[in-house]
Amino acid sequence: MKRTSEDGQSKLPDNTALKQQQLPAYRLQLSATGVLSCFFATGVFCLGMGIILILSAKSIKEIEIKYTKICGNCAKLREDATNFDKECTCSIPFYLSETMQVKGEREEIQAYTFLFTVSSCIQDVGNCAPFSKSHDGTPIAPCGAIANSIFNDTIILSYKLNSSIPIKVPMLRSGITWWTDKYVKFQNPSSINLSSAFAGTTKPPCWAKPVYELDGEDPGNNGFLNDDFIVWMRTAAFPTFKKLYRRLNRIQYFIEGLPAGNYSFNITYNFPVTRFKGEKSVVLSTLTWSGGSSLFLGLVYTVTGAVTWLASFSMMAVHLTLKDRKVLFIQQ
Amino acid sequence: TAAPSHSVAEEERRARANDREYNEKFQYASNCIKTSKYNILTFLPVNLFEQFQEVANTYFLFLLILQLIPQVSSLSWFTTIVPLVLVLAITAVKDATDDYFRHKSDNQVNNRQSQVLINGSLQQEQWMNVCVGDIIKLENNQFVAVREVALQGNKSLPLFLADRNEETNMKVRQAIPVTSELGDISRLAKFDGEVVCEPPNNKLDRFSGTLYWKESKFPLSNQNTLLRGCVLRNTEWCFGLVVFAGPDTKLMQNSGRTKFKRTSIDRLMNTLVLWIFGFLVCMGVILAIGNAIWEHEVGTRFQAYLPWDEAVDSAFFSGFLSFWSYIIILNTVVPISLYVSVEVIRLGHSYFINWDKKMFCVKRRTPAEARTTTLNEELGQVEYVFSDKTGTLTQNIMVFNKCSISGRSYGDVFDVLGHKAELGERPEPVDFSFNPLADKKFLFWDPTLLEAVKMGDPHTHEFFRLLSLCHTVMSEEKNEGELYYKAQSPDEGALVTAARNFGFVFRSRTPKTITVYEMGIAVTYQLLAILDFNNIRKRMSVIVRNPEGRIRLYCKGADTILLDRLHPSTQELLSTTTDHLNEYAGEGLRTLVLAYKDLDEEYYGEWAQRRLQASLAQDSREDRLASVYEEVESDMLLGATAIEDKLQQGVPETIALLTLANIKIWVLTGDKQETAVNIGYSCKMLTDDMTEVFVVTGHTVLEVREELRKAREKMMDSPYAVGNGLPCPEKCSSAKLTSVLEAVAGEYALVINGHSLAHALEADMELEFLETACACKAVICCRVTPLQKAQVVELVKKHKKAVTLAIGDGANDVSMIKTAHIGVGISGQEGIQAVLASDYSFSQFKFLQRLLLVHGRWSYLRMCKFLCYFFYKNFAFTMVHFWFGFFCGFSAQTVYDQYFITLYNIVYTSLPVLAMGVFDQDVPEQRSMEYPKLYEPGQLNLLFNKREFFICIAQGIYTSVLMFFIPYGVFAEATRDDGTQLADYQSFAVTVATSLVIVVSVQVALSASDTINHFFIWGSLAVYFASPLTWELSRGEQGRPRLPLASPGNAQNTLAQPTVWLTITLTTVVCIMPVVAFRFLKLSLKPDLSDTVRYSQLVRKKQKAQHRCLRRVGRTGSRRSGYAFSHQEGFGELIMSGKNMRLSSLALAGFATRSSSSWIESLRRKKSDSASSPGGGADKPLRG
Repeated sequence: MKRTSEDGQSKLPDNTALKQQQLPAYRLQLSATGVLSCFFATGVFCLGMGIILILSAKSIKEIEIKYTKICGNCAKLREDATNFDKECTCSIPFYLSETMQVKGEREEIQAYTFLFTVSSCIQDVGNCAPFSKSHDGTPIAPCGAIANSIFNDTIILSYKLNSSIPIKVPMLRSGITWWTDKYVKFQNPSSINLSSAFAGTTKPPCWAKPVYELDGEDPGNNGFLNDDFIVWMRTAAFPTFKKLYRRLNRIQYFIEGLPAGNYSFNITYNFPVTRFKGEKSVVLSTLTWSGGSSLFLGLVYTVTGAVTWLASFSMMAVHLTLKDRKVLFIQQ
Repeated sequence: TAAPSHSVAEEERRARANDREYNEKFQYASNCIKTSKYNILTFLPVNLFEQFQEVANTYFLFLLILQLIPQVSSLSWFTTIVPLVLVLAITAVKDATDDYFRHKSDNQVNNRQSQVLINGSLQQEQWMNVCVGDIIKLENNQFVAVREVALQGNKSLPLFLADRNEETNMKVRQAIPVTSELGDISRLAKFDGEVVCEPPNNKLDRFSGTLYWKESKFPLSNQNTLLRGCVLRNTEWCFGLVVFAGPDTKLMQNSGRTKFKRTSIDRLMNTLVLWIFGFLVCMGVILAIGNAIWEHEVGTRFQAYLPWDEAVDSAFFSGFLSFWSYIIILNTVVPISLYVSVEVIRLGHSYFINWDKKMFCVKRRTPAEARTTTLNEELGQVEYVFSDKTGTLTQNIMVFNKCSISGRSYGDVFDVLGHKAELGERPEPVDFSFNPLADKKFLFWDPTLLEAVKMGDPHTHEFFRLLSLCHTVMSEEKNEGELYYKAQSPDEGALVTAARNFGFVFRSRTPKTITVYEMGIAVTYQLLAILDFNNIRKRMSVIVRNPEGRIRLYCKGADTILLDRLHPSTQELLSTTTDHLNEYAGEGLRTLVLAYKDLDEEYYGEWAQRRLQASLAQDSREDRLASVYEEVESDMLLGATAIEDKLQQGVPETIALLTLANIKIWVLTGDKQETAVNIGYSCKMLTDDMTEVFVVTGHTVLEVREELRKAREKMMDSPYAVGNGLPCPEKCSSAKLTSVLEAVAGEYALVINGHSLAHALEADMELEFLETACACKAVICCRVTPLQKAQVVELVKKHKKAVTLAIGDGANDVSMIKTAHIGVGISGQEGIQAVLASDYSFSQFKFLQRLLLVHGRWSYLRMCKFLCYFFYKNFAFTMVHFWFGFFCGFSAQTVYDQYFITLYNIVYTSLPVLAMGVFDQDVPEQRSMEYPKLYEPGQLNLLFNKREFFICIAQGIYTSVLMFFIPYGVFAEATRDDGTQLADYQSFAVTVATSLVIVVSVQVALSASDTINHFFIWGSLAVYFASPLTWELSRGEQGRPRLPLASPGNAQNTLAQPTVWLTITLTTVVCIMPVVAFRFLKLSLKPDLSDTVRYSQLVRKKQKAQHRCLRRVGRTGSRRSGYAFSHQEGFGELIMSGKNMRLSSLALAGFATRSSSSWIESLRRKKSDSASSPGGGADKPLRG
């Protein structure tokens, strides 16, 4: 139906490279030298990377203490939800046989817990169900299942310097969150003080304290800007996860790291896990450039490198045996 | 197109002239054409309604509704609605533009002016206001607006109708005799006849009706009607009564596509989508069961932190809900953009066809046109080409090439070797300057013939006299000496033109006379009778009385018919002429035998009487006439002519190339067997290298079966097949036959005649025929009807599971074009009906090789690659959710960001794959012409079939496994370099998404070959990395992002980690390396032809190797050629009917005084002149 009565010459198609499909072609040529050298190079890279990663992972010192069973009585207490207001602490002594030498900047303490991830987001009230409103209808702040399930154990590490007086190892709370989380994502409602800002809301059912009283020592660490809260709200991807709890403040005895000696964790046990067969651990670890200790990446790199090399050798063998035949074929 | 306005089937149509009130009762369709579908108001609802009739769209609407249920919703609403809206919008825009053009052309047509007789005067009316029953006036070169009955022509001339802009192929129409005498407008305005005729239908060549006027009936036939869309020619004006208007006209009834064609890939795709859907349900069920178990085992104890929804009361119900949630999440395996992408790709390919300069015919100024945009990739899979002959393989331009006059052959002097000399090698053509009336375009290379004419050889003179008298050509003389011939068939035109150049100029005719300028002297013959041509007689004769009063019958006809009727006295001449005929036929020329007979006055008088009786007979008039004709036509041989049916340019090369590409070519022609076979030889379909050419000409079922059996026996060439296979066609399954016949060595060809074909196509023999024919390299079916053409195509289509392509140019090819998978119309001499019915059209047969080997091959290749990558990328993308399900309590948690899910298929990865589908080229176009074998993968359907699909799926799943488990392994234990948690949900999402986009892009890049494609690949990747940045940059006051982003700083926090990059690199390496290794090994161990071609091209670049050329095979051999006249009757009856017989007015103006008004006078004058003419005609001055 698009018949035009124009002059025939105008029907002549344009002579452009696009319309005549004459654009230059850049096809990846799988030439033998290219492919084989690429394989060899990849192999070298992977092997090298693997070895570096394994070495750096090996250099990490790490102590993991699973305290669910050690603090068995506390765990039992927490299984009954009615005991929420009863405090239960437990002390776990351990011996650090060698100094945790600090190579980089910081020392850290990590808390392992065992939990299942839930999708939720504090900004999106629509997704807060079923923790958006309490039974009497007041809105919960912060709402949602994730906020409700906040990890609320308190862990204090003490160092027995002379086998008598334990010294509390100084820990830093700052720098355990992403900058964007602390300064962009989470913001307190603007008001004169926090308690008035959160007036008309109630605390999540599993919380002992309202959100504006999370940190009794530092008033700036309250509300949605509480560091522990922010860390918790960065939801883990997998059921088993570890989250940064505190990092070592390198002062006094601890400038070089944690010296060898007797230590103990004093844990205020609040977070119940035995109901769903969960486990909690506390981990002391040093760091490298690639993060914490993970042999997995290094191992996979090494294996990949080895396999790539093997493959490239066998491919070279195939190529050499067939080379003559191919030349013949082309010359035909 | 628009439906007829009346819902009840119309049984007959009544239209009364000049009575609008009466005609309005019937509510006939108005002449307003409406091919458009929408207007501004209805566009949105109607278009949406149409779009949601597509299963895919409805499916996504269903998903959208599912997502609105909060218990089920696992994705944000926009992840589905954005792609859906995009897809709907693209389709809507396309529909809207199409409709806009339809509106435009409708308006143009509807607003054309025509003259309508209203209230006794002619008034200008727009076409759309013309009604049934109106009388309208048409002028020369005007388009006919409606279907109408011609009431009155200009001075009762025959009306010529031309198909649109075609100068050739005029149709003759005549006004109804009774109304012709009505005279002036005032009488016409009072005309109140009523036409009763058949209801609207789409048969172009049939019309039956009756005119009731003044209480008498007058029959109306197709001869009296003018068709909409035609142009009036050679007539100053004519009046007509409108019978059908608008959608009821035959043009409109014919213009609709009858059948929607689907490609095999389409069908495969639909099957695969169903399978994928099944797979999706399976995954959903597995995950739902997992969810139920998890909720039962773990979830119940976890309710303090993660209570069930209020609606959920059991683990089972939770599983049920999670099934639907997973259906939503995993829906991307059935990607919404699949169908729209496929359409876009095909559209692109169609544009490439339209744009191709190498398929542009400079002479006709017509580009190739893809009229259907849905069949492109099937062009790369064609196995059988069914071709028409005349106008398709040949130009349908006839050239007088050779002749044999009383035993002497002229025209082949320079052919020492019997080969047709090339144009460049020929000497100067014969100079016809002695003859001012000669046609300048006529070329002849043998001067001896002209010498013979000039010498006054009586046989030669008689020969050309016959050619100038015995025909039904009309002449038109626009200026003095500027003659134009209008011939029913190009054969006749060629012969009359030849006679004209050799000094026997047919100048004009009246019903009773023919005026010929014989060597410059006007001679007027009295035309006593025309014994017209028809298909049975295969000859035509005229009986003329020359100025001396001698009556002579001149006859020309098919050699097979005419040679039997010759007078026995010419035995010697007969054998020489037969030799000549064989020689001509062997060169592929169309031959014709000429003969004459003297009749004495008495005999003629008696014969004329009998003829009159026969023609008045009520019953079996045809037969009676034929026998009367038969009686008089026993002749004296005069000679023979040979007309070259010029092959189109490049036909032999094209056929040779297509044959090399394993495409089987069947020629289906209405021509005679001899002619068809000759053309077969001249276009190299048949060669002398062939082991045998089987000819099946049996008249009965048994004969045909026996002939087919013999052919097969010979082909199998082994004794076991004789007893085993064929006497029991029922027992031996087609599979067995095929297996035997496919192993046939040697080249065979099959020629089958129309009547044999009729038997062969019967249900019990069709398989036998098919297997025999398919084992042959070439098949020629001659004398086939249009219906048989379609039947043959249907047969192959039904039993061979191969893609068929039909190519033709005429109305008789329409059925075949519509039946075949792909119909190609040659826009050539025979009007546009074939083009209208076709899917692709161009103007030369040779473009077929480019259409198939370049465009078709590429289309198929691109489509296959596209589908492979498309399924691959979607499986790689979606299956990650499945694996993640095992780690998130089957809670229908997505792995990726919602934005990523939304954009993955429409932004990040769509363009590279789409660009690959549109632009990819595996080898340059020249190579696919040089190596026709490259076409084979398409025919064997190797590039995308179920196996390839499973490989893609497997690769996709493999990628998804690595994509999930490598990051999982890394993230499970690792921390960020500042000691904070690495394994948070959003970082994991970013890592997986990034490696996915990189892996998919690299995969595409591995096989991308085009600049644009690479541009899109790396561009998309850049867009992926840029998009989080945009969100970052859009941060406004207090650092809060203006866009609603769930997790600000997500991407840059994650991608700043070396561990993340190491993971991404590792994943990419592990996903890509096996593919590269596999390709490399395949290249070394089992290379494709295209790989080899590419490789050798590289080698050649260094070596400068020679090109492979197709060897031109010279052909010798002798076949019988036949008289291939046009298949319709000529103007004979019309000429002899007398009163209608006039020349066009312009011709008349120049001639009226001299010949037509008083032919007797000039006859008398001629008598005295030509007393001396037989001897020295050539010396006479022009014009006596």
